[in-house]
This record gives sequence, structure tokens and C-alpha cells, in this order.
Amino acid sequence: MHEAVTLTVSDIIEQARQAARAFAEFGESLLHPTVRLGVTGLSRAGKTVFITALVHGLVRGGRFPVFEAMSSGRIAGARLTPQPDDAVPRFDYERHVRVLVEERAWPDSTRQISELRVVIDYQSASGSMRTLTLDIVDYPGEWLLDLPLLGKSYEQWSAQTLAHLRRLVPATLAAPYLAHVATVDALAPADENAAIEAARLFTQCLIDCRKTHDTLSMVAPGRFLMPGDLAGSPALTFAPLVMPESGELPLGSNGAMMRRRYDAYRDVVVRPFFREHFARLDRQIVLVDVLAALGGGPAALRDLQDAMTAVLECFRVGRGGWLNALFSPRADKLLFAATKADQVHHSGHDRLEAILKRMTDAAIARAGDAGAEVDVIALAAVRATREALVRGEGGGLPSIVGVAAPGTGPEGRSFDGLAEVAVFPGDLPADVSALFDDAGAPLAGGIPEGDFRSIRFRPPALEKTEDGVPALPHIRLDRALQFLIGDRLR
Amino acid sequence: MTGTVRRPAVFSADDPRLVAVEADEAQRHAAQIEADAVDAADQLPAVQAAPKRRVPWASMFWSALSGLVVLGLGLAVSKLVEDLFARAPWLGAIGLALAVIAGLALLVLILREVIGLARLATVEALRRRATEIVISDDRNDGRALVADMLSLTKRMPVLARARARLAEHRSDIIDGRDLIRLAERELMTPLDAEARRLVVAASKRVSVVTAISPRAAVDMIFVLVNGLRLVRQIAVLYGARPGTLGVLKLLRQVISHLAVTGGIGLSDSLLQQVIGHGLATRLSARLGEGMVNGLLTARLGLLTIDQVRPLPFQELPRPALGDLAGTLMRSTSGRGDSAGAPGKNAAP
Repeated sequence: MHEAVTLTVSDIIEQARQAARAFAEFGESLLHPTVRLGVTGLSRAGKTVFITALVHGLVRGGRFPVFEAMSSGRIAGARLTPQPDDAVPRFDYERHVRVLVEERAWPDSTRQISELRVVIDYQSASGSMRTLTLDIVDYPGEWLLDLPLLGKSYEQWSAQTLAHLRRLVPATLAAPYLAHVATVDALAPADENAAIEAARLFTQCLIDCRKTHDTLSMVAPGRFLMPGDLAGSPALTFAPLVMPESGELPLGSNGAMMRRRYDAYRDVVVRPFFREHFARLDRQIVLVDVLAALGGGPAALRDLQDAMTAVLECFRVGRGGWLNALFSPRADKLLFAATKADQVHHSGHDRLEAILKRMTDAAIARAGDAGAEVDVIALAAVRATREALVRGEGGGLPSIVGVAAPGTGPEGRSFDGLAEVAVFPGDLPADVSALFDDAGAPLAGGIPEGDFRSIRFRPPALEKTEDGVPALPHIRLDRALQFLIGDRLR
Repeated sequence: MTGTVRRPAVFSADDPRLVAVEADEAQRHAAQIEADAVDAADQLPAVQAAPKRRVPWASMFWSALSGLVVLGLGLAVSKLVEDLFARAPWLGAIGLALAVIAGLALLVLILREVIGLARLATVEALRRRATEIVISDDRNDGRALVADMLSLTKRMPVLARARARLAEHRSDIIDGRDLIRLAERELMTPLDAEARRLVVAASKRVSVVTAISPRAAVDMIFVLVNGLRLVRQIAVLYGARPGTLGVLKLLRQVISHLAVTGGIGLSDSLLQQVIGHGLATRLSARLGEGMVNGLLTARLGLLTIDQVRPLPFQELPRPALGDLAGTLMRSTSGRGDSAGAPGKNAAP
């Protein structure tokens, strides 16, 4: 009872704060049209590469035939300018481009939030010169999984997380933590040392999970993996406990302490993150690495689906009237992109899109109901491969050619990261209903392990011309741009 | 291979079975274009018959009648030649030669008309395909259509650069809908501008001639001739190059559209027409009539654009009577003011 009231009050304060902010920004956007582009994706979905390629294409004039404003020559130029938020680090665009083009490696996984502002000078179709400001935010994908916590109480979260840990394969991953948690009584008086030990084991368990499963996405709370300056603070010293069947947690008990810390985590970490970066978006692109999940088998696919569903619950989408725009901005265009589409031949892109569409069905329907425009594409922000055909019976195998990243591939082959290889990654299932059941949950026997294999390639080699770096090759980045900001450049 | 699972496989880049896809595909596409063009020409009658009608008594009547007329003519000519031979052999020889020349010329004329009609139908088929691709978003169809568009426009020097730009993107991975939009933007922009100019020029001519012509019959004939000319010009501009029959057919389509859409079109531009007409009539009754005829010609031109443009209006704005009417009225009023100074040229 008491808890419910405090929750509502803090929610109201939060809403009011967002409304006030939106009001201030509305005023400013009248003077300087601004688009806040949300680039959303779980870790390793390709957020950093997408932003880098997008900015590079805008600033250096990429090959964007489908992006009307650029291909018809209405964009006079785009430049990077200082960002509005002084407290947020700048997106290290120059370093990422250098890594991509010179070292031919993908940028490291993002460790902290960063921001970049691009100003586009363009001429509107009616002939007047205008500018559009594009704000883009990059953040570690792990943090995204914190968003669902906003809607869960500590008790719910504990139950779900423990259930998830018990299901884990291999069981040794979670064994130390589960053994410890059995010794902690939620009703006993608070014991700080037991809490620290529980948090340590829980964190270790999360880290191990992330190492073992490449695509494991249920790693909330994300800040446990990248604590930053919050390391050791009470807000990061909690763990799920076995809750009593019924009854209130007595004051001063282990359980109450954990609950207070969980709430603190939400208030100190999750809420500001949501407020700063998700509640204020005008346009949203959700990057999903479907291919890696398909390559990982049904468990990985299910994992991805669960995570995406939970995250997409939190989004504000929909087209509002002016009053809405004043007080609670919502993303009015939502683009789902299956990234790394260069890992399959273009003839498989339609199937890839169909799979992603099926995975995000619920979110698409909700966004559509709210009046937002939704699209689904297969995308490669930086295209690392070219296409080829391996002759053989039945018309041959539509394959892709590129330099595979060092490591081992299918058939136990090892790649040295220097020689080009041609890869046929396997056929994507033509019938999406074979992958998912009617409720949208992935089926166990959908895509047998080993029938599809996604391989990481190194970024493409580019020859330098006299005027610097030529544009990065891509697949449908221009279509994404056209969808996301094309209408603001008319 | 179908039915069985194709397992993932890795090949080294110097595997002899590996073929680069771009060049190969481009060639296949080129071959495909030729095949498609031939197919399109072959399939035209079938395509035309697609909307199934009941027994076409009217056309049967006309076909039978014209067959009879041709037979009668042939009979008359052969009789004439025979008579000439009977009178004097050299006269008969000349008659025969003339008859052969006339027959040959007729044959060529018919052939040209048929080709013109086929071209018109090709453009129609292209537009229908483009509309389908916009809905289906099919990549392969889109590529084939772009190839067809490139071959359709290959005799238009204005589009050389646009064609080069478009050809450059053909090997990129772009979806069907975007390909159509891209092709429209690249290829149709200059043609649309030119078509708009033609329509405005024709309607201006009609307004002016109507305003100063001495007799109603004269401007009726002028409106008709000018309309025919406009239809032909626009069709040629968009690559349809129809013959005389083609133009007539087009005109028939346009006029039937005019009858259908006239009511709709009326509502959006009735106001400005009434106001414009009213104002102009105040100035002079003839000027008002000229304006109405001019607007009619403009509408005819716009409908013709709709009929012969090989791509549907997706990305670019459809020219509306409103934008044209503005230019037209300004120029006509200007002319009305300077009616006493005929030396002033109306052409832009």
C-alpha cells in the first residue's frame, strides 16, 4: 500500500519533469529545427558502426541514391558542431572512422554514453536555405536492458531473475550464486557482508553469462557489468533473493535492504538514463542482430526475442498533436533494422526482414495503433562483403566474399584475417511460421543449429583518393536515412 | 537442390567455381532486357485484352466493314488495271506499277501505325508494372524495370547524364520501391518540366487565338488541332512515339478520362475557374472564352501526361491544373492588358 503510493508520486514527479523539459525544447525547436535520433540496440547490434557510417556519409557525402535530399543535391553540406549536453562525452567519431578505415577493425564495444550533433545545411524544395540539427546518442547496449526494470518491483524482478538463473545452461554458471542465495534469509536482519558477497557472486555470474553466450541478452541490471564511478556503492550492491511466499518484508531485514537498493538503482541509474535519452526522441531506429541469434540456435533466438519484447515495452511512440509535442515528445517514426545484412546474399534479405517483422510484431502493432510510422529493413551500415556465385548443381550457391575476421568458422576452418573467403551462410527459413509459434515465441526446432552460420567479416578495404577517404559502402543506409529524416528535409 | 537443406559452406577466394556476381548479373540483365522488350511487344494484344469484355459487336462491325471496303477497293483497282491493259499495254503497265507502289506504301504505313500502337502499349505496360512493384517492393522486378526504362529512354539526349547515374546504382542493393522512385527522380524530372512547358505553351496559344479569332469555327478548329498536336508532343516526349492512330487512340483515352474526371477536376479548380472566368469576362467576353479554352487544353495536356508517362507519380509531384492555371492567367491577363501591343511575345 505504502509502496504503491510512493511509486505513483515519484512517477508523477518524473512525468512533470519530462513535460517541463519537453516544453523548453519545443520552444527551441521552433527556432532551430532539431531531430533527436534514437539509435537503440542491444550490445553488439552495431549501434556505434551505424552512427559512424551515418555521420561519415552525411559529412563526407556518401553514395546515398535513395536519400532524396542528398542525391538530388539539395544538401549543401553537413558539419559536426558542439553538442548541447555539456555533461555527456562526445561521440568519438574520428577515432571510430580511423579504426574502421585504417585498421580495418570494428570499433570496440561501447563503454559509456556519448553524443554527437550534426548540422545539415540544405535547401528546401521551395528554395529557401535551412538547417536541420541532428542529435545522435550512443550508449552501451547493456544499459538498454535496464529499462524493463522501471516497470518491475523488486519482488517480481527477483523471482524472474532467479527462475532465469535456474534455467541456465550450463548450470555451473549460476551454481555458486544459487548456492549462496540459499543461505541468505530475506526475513533475517540485514547483513551487509552477506549482501556484498551476494552482489559479488551475482555480478560474476552475469559476467560469465555474457562471456559464454555471445548473444545472451538478459543481463540486467546492465550497470553491474560496467559500474563506472558507481562501483561499490549501495545502489550496485544488491542481488535477487528468494522471497517469502507471503507477508511484508520486515523493516531492517535483508529483503527490505535489497529492495531499497534496487529502488535506488532505478532512481539513480535507470530513470535518468530513460529521461535523458529515451523519453525525448523524435525518431527511433532499433537495430537488431537477427543473424547472430539465428546462427546461435533456437535458445539464442528466444533470448533475443525476450529481450526485445521487454525493451520495446518501454518506448514512447506515436504521433501527437501540438499539445502532445509540447508536453511529451514521442517518436513518430520507428524503424526496425536487421543489422549486418551483408552477411547474407541480397536474395535472403526479404526473409531476414520477414523474420525481424515477426519478432517485433507486437511492438509494430502498438506503434501503428499509436499513430507512428513503422518500417522494417535489412541493413548494413558498413558493407564488408561483395556478392558472388559459387557454381554447382541447382544454380549454384549465392555467396558473399569478404575478409573473415580471425577465428574459426564452419567445418572447423580457421581464418587468418587476411585472405578473402567466399561464404555461403546457409538459407534463411522461407516460412517464418516455422520459426515462431502463434504467440510469437520462437519454436525449438525452427532453425536447426548448424543450418545457418553467420560469420564476422573485417571492414572493407578502401582505396584512398586524393580528397581523402571515399564513402563507405553500405546496404540500405540511405533508405534508413530517407525514412528517418527525409521528411524533415523537404 | 530445392527441398534439401543447403548447408553453410566456405570456399577460398581463388576457388574456380567462384564467379563474380555483378558482371554476370549485369549481362544476364542485359539479355533479360532484350527478351523482356520482345516479350512485351509480343504480349501486347494479350495484355490489352486483359480486362475481359463481352462480344465486341461494334468493333466486329467496323472490322468487317473496313474489310469489305478494302476488298472493294482491291476489286476496283484490279478492274481498273485490267481495263487499262485492254486499252493499251503500256497504260496497263503504268497502272500496275502505280497500284504496286500504292500497296507497298499502304503496307509500310500500316506497319508504322502498328509499331506506334505497340510502343504506346509498352509504355502503358511499364507504368502498370511500376505500380505493381511499388506495392510488392520486389527487387528483381525493380531491376528489370529500371533496365527497361534505360532502354526506353536511350534515344533521349537530355537524359544521358541521368541514365549514367542510374546505371551506376543498378548493382547496388536497393529495394524495388526505392528503385522506382530513384528512376522516376532521375529520368522523369527533366521530362516533367518539359511537358509542363509544352502544356503551358499550348494553352497560352489557344487562349490567345480564341481571344482574337474572328469566328467561333476558327477557334474550334484551332483548339482541336492544337490539342492533337499537344497530345502528340507529350507522347513523343515521354518516349511513346505513337503514330497517327496511336495519337487518336490516346486522344480517345484522354477524352474519356476527361469525361470521367471532369466532374472531380471541376470541384478542385471550379472556384478559380469561375473567379478567373468572371474577372476575365468583365474585361472582355472573348478573353473569358479564351481562358476557358486554354484551361481545357491544359487539362487535356495533364491527362495526356498521366496516360503516357512510363512511371507513375510516386516521388515527384503530379502537375496540377492549379499551378498551370496561375501561370496561364497571369500571362493571359498580361496579354489582355497589352492587347493593343501585339508585338509583345507571349513565349517564355
